[in-house]
Amino acid sequence: MRPLIVIRWALVVAALSAALAYVAPVARGAAPGAADTAAATRTGPSAKNTCFDCHSQLDDSRLSGPTKDFPQDIHATHGLGCVGCHGGNPNDPEMTAMDPDKGFKGAPARKDIAELCASCHANAAYMKRFNPQPYIFSMAEFRTSVHCKKIAEGDLKVATCTNCHGVHGILPPRDPRSPVNHRNVPFTCAKCHNAEYMKGRTVPTNQLALWRESVHGVALLVKGDMSAPACNNCHGNHGAVPPKTRDISVVCGNCHGREGELFAKSKVAETLEFEGKRGCVTCHSNHGIRPPTDAMVGLEGEGVCGRCHTAGSPGARAAAELVPRFHTFKSHLARADSLLGVADRLGVETAPGHEALKQANDALVGLRATIHSFSLPPIEAALAEGEGLASRAESHAREGLRDWRNRRAGMALSLVVILALMALLIARIRQVERPAA
Amino acid sequence: MIGRLREWLADRLGLDALQHLAEKKDVPVHRHTFWYYWGGMTLFLFGIQVATGILLLLYYRASADEAYESVRFIMTQVSFGWLIRSIHSWSANLMIGAAMIHMFSAFLTKAYRPPRELTWISGMVLLGLSLAFGFSGYLLPWNQLAFFATKVGTDVTGAVPVVGGFMLRFLRGGEHISGGTLTRFFGFHVAILPAIATLIVGVHVYLVQRHGMSVPPSVEDAGGPKRRMKFVPNFMLRDMVGWLAALGVLALLSALFPWELGLKADPFASAPAGIRPEWYFGWMFQTLRMMPSHILGIEGELVAIAGIGLGGAVWLLAPFLDDPRGRGQRARMMTALGVVALVYIVAFTLLVYRGAKP
Amino acid sequence: MQRRDFLSWLTRIAGTALGGFILYPVARYLVPPRIPEAATRRVLAGKKNDLAPNSGKTFPFGAQPGILIRTADGEYRAFTAVCTHLGCTVQYRDDMRMIWCACHSGHYDLEGRNISGPPPRPLEPYTVHVEGDDIIVEKAGTT
Repeated sequence: MRPLIVIRWALVVAALSAALAYVAPVARGAAPGAADTAAATRTGPSAKNTCFDCHSQLDDSRLSGPTKDFPQDIHATHGLGCVGCHGGNPNDPEMTAMDPDKGFKGAPARKDIAELCASCHANAAYMKRFNPQPYIFSMAEFRTSVHCKKIAEGDLKVATCTNCHGVHGILPPRDPRSPVNHRNVPFTCAKCHNAEYMKGRTVPTNQLALWRESVHGVALLVKGDMSAPACNNCHGNHGAVPPKTRDISVVCGNCHGREGELFAKSKVAETLEFEGKRGCVTCHSNHGIRPPTDAMVGLEGEGVCGRCHTAGSPGARAAAELVPRFHTFKSHLARADSLLGVADRLGVETAPGHEALKQANDALVGLRATIHSFSLPPIEAALAEGEGLASRAESHAREGLRDWRNRRAGMALSLVVILALMALLIARIRQVERPAA
Repeated sequence: MIGRLREWLADRLGLDALQHLAEKKDVPVHRHTFWYYWGGMTLFLFGIQVATGILLLLYYRASADEAYESVRFIMTQVSFGWLIRSIHSWSANLMIGAAMIHMFSAFLTKAYRPPRELTWISGMVLLGLSLAFGFSGYLLPWNQLAFFATKVGTDVTGAVPVVGGFMLRFLRGGEHISGGTLTRFFGFHVAILPAIATLIVGVHVYLVQRHGMSVPPSVEDAGGPKRRMKFVPNFMLRDMVGWLAALGVLALLSALFPWELGLKADPFASAPAGIRPEWYFGWMFQTLRMMPSHILGIEGELVAIAGIGLGGAVWLLAPFLDDPRGRGQRARMMTALGVVALVYIVAFTLLVYRGAKP
Repeated sequence: MQRRDFLSWLTRIAGTALGGFILYPVARYLVPPRIPEAATRRVLAGKKNDLAPNSGKTFPFGAQPGILIRTADGEYRAFTAVCTHLGCTVQYRDDMRMIWCACHSGHYDLEGRNISGPPPRPLEPYTVHVEGDDIIVEKAGTT
């Protein structure tokens, strides 16, 4: 008898606790803070979300649209339902769920979106609950951006969080379908930064077209090199702003370390900054950067020096001196390469030669970087090193060809002996077969 | 002193009997005596293959990881490695060429007439072995050309009905060409084929000694050879002149046209353009290439294989199909067949190189 | 008679010469070359006194460059010197105590791991053996 009584009481207590747990969050009060609301709705996958249940059934696409992608939304997968941003009562299947007195906020005004997202994403303690090393959004950073400034001025045709990240189907940036995934970023920016949308404004609108054909665009989109920069790598993510003139070489130098380092210390950088010109962009352009060619060093044709330097200026004289030596070096390399090719085909040992040639080509890469010092001594030193290596490669190749000529000589000699022996044997045959004298 | 040594050895090895045989041996002299040298030439070149092959064995490594590098090592680091390797590769081609000249001259002079049927058959076996030597050796440098040529060659084997699938797997050591194929081919090339070849060469040379040199029917009809020359020293001296010429050709070829290293085999790269087997398989390759896809409802490839197989069988059984006296209607037809075969093989071999693309 | 002997003598000379032309290459061939085998698996990267602690140098390994590093503690490490981004030759930076690629500022730590910049993969490590004065570098996984 007694065990049954215990069991009965246990069941009652259990039921009551469950009911309490179920009811308690809702009884916490009206107008909860966003963090609290979020916590309120984070009660597991089986938690009720009547907003979703009702809205997904509606015919009006404006009302049912948000529900289509929401199940994949990163907020949904982490247990945050509609009420996390919009407030309201997720357990109430009636229209009373959308009672402002119960905390329903509806769709936020455009100018308030950033603050709403920031209410969670800028809260380090809160974000840590989902990821021990979270990205903490900085409202202060966002305020430095052109987008935020324009919104504050009342210009609403400008991007805020939802324009880039999406609204109801937000995917993390690492997801290839996300509009802020590395490969998609330029196209997301170009949704506004195009001629049609920007009509009436003074900002340039050709950035995407230029970037797509550029060495960075091709690297990222065609070759799949994920280290190539998209818009945000140079302009920033949330604090999006074109880099200041003096900062451009820092931006480029982030990846192009040696060139940036050398350039920053050069006279050219100093002069360009003094004249308010844009550093690296002056010669390389910003969005439509093409792979640099050696023809860029020079006054005419593809030469970029002529953009500032007049003929006869010290800079022009330096270029005039450098260009032929540069070409001599490259033709030296080409000669070594072709000689090694000939030696290879003839079957002689060429490994040391190829090794020296590789080092010489490395020196060529180094020379091209050293040009950015715009100072003759280091450039001349790099040239000398490269020439030395090219000479080594060539001498290895010539040694191999000498080997081959020696082989030919040896063969010729052996042929002489063979022919002599053949003649002697024929003579011997004749001798043996001559009738006895 | 040398004389005493010779005597000592002769007593124990019975060299006197051999010397007697050698002195007795003679060779008929007539218009077609020139063709008698080609058997010896083939044997000489085979000897070169054995010698250079053994030398190569000292440095070559038969694994997919190391084969190419070891050949490169031989070509570039080993003293005169380039010479040994180039001689081995060129001499292989020269040997097969000499073997084919020897075969055609034997056929067209009806040397296979009784009692020399077994000599002919053993000779055909030797030709087959030479082709096997060439095919297996070709893969060993493990370069792109070799890899894909072997793939094409074994693919064709796979097309033979009934036994093709098994033969393909037996040759490749699996479904695909791999390091296992290389090991297997190496085993064929340096152990199995040499062992069989030594045996058959022994049989072939013994039979030639036993039956002496065959005289063509035309010479017999004209009253037989006018005279005979002694094997030692007359024929041998002439042999040696020929061998010296071959040596000279090999030296010339090795120094002026060293055998290429090529690119290391990459099974996942696409086959290089214009891939084709070595020239001695060329006529078969070209025949297959020129077949239409279907003839009377049967796959063209199968028709070609059957045709070549049938031709080969007729060729092999020539001693039994031809008139035993080597004269008459049947004999004339056989000669015509030989000429047709020769022209066909030469023409189709050349066609491979004329860029006659399908 | 004179001529016969002369011919014999000449033939013997020529024959010997030919013999020399054949035996000399074969004899040289049989003598092992300086480096006993192809440099695909293991190479002599340098001598013990070549590198001071906290320095590195490139060396040829087969057809590609390798990099040999001596850490500040005196330990030797070796890796392929081909950057995993676009194939430039990497170098050792003693100021950063890291491996650095000059082309796009890729950084690798002393385990070869790509820690910063564009390189997508670590550098393939090699095993280093010190035998007497020689520093031998071997492809990892070779017995």
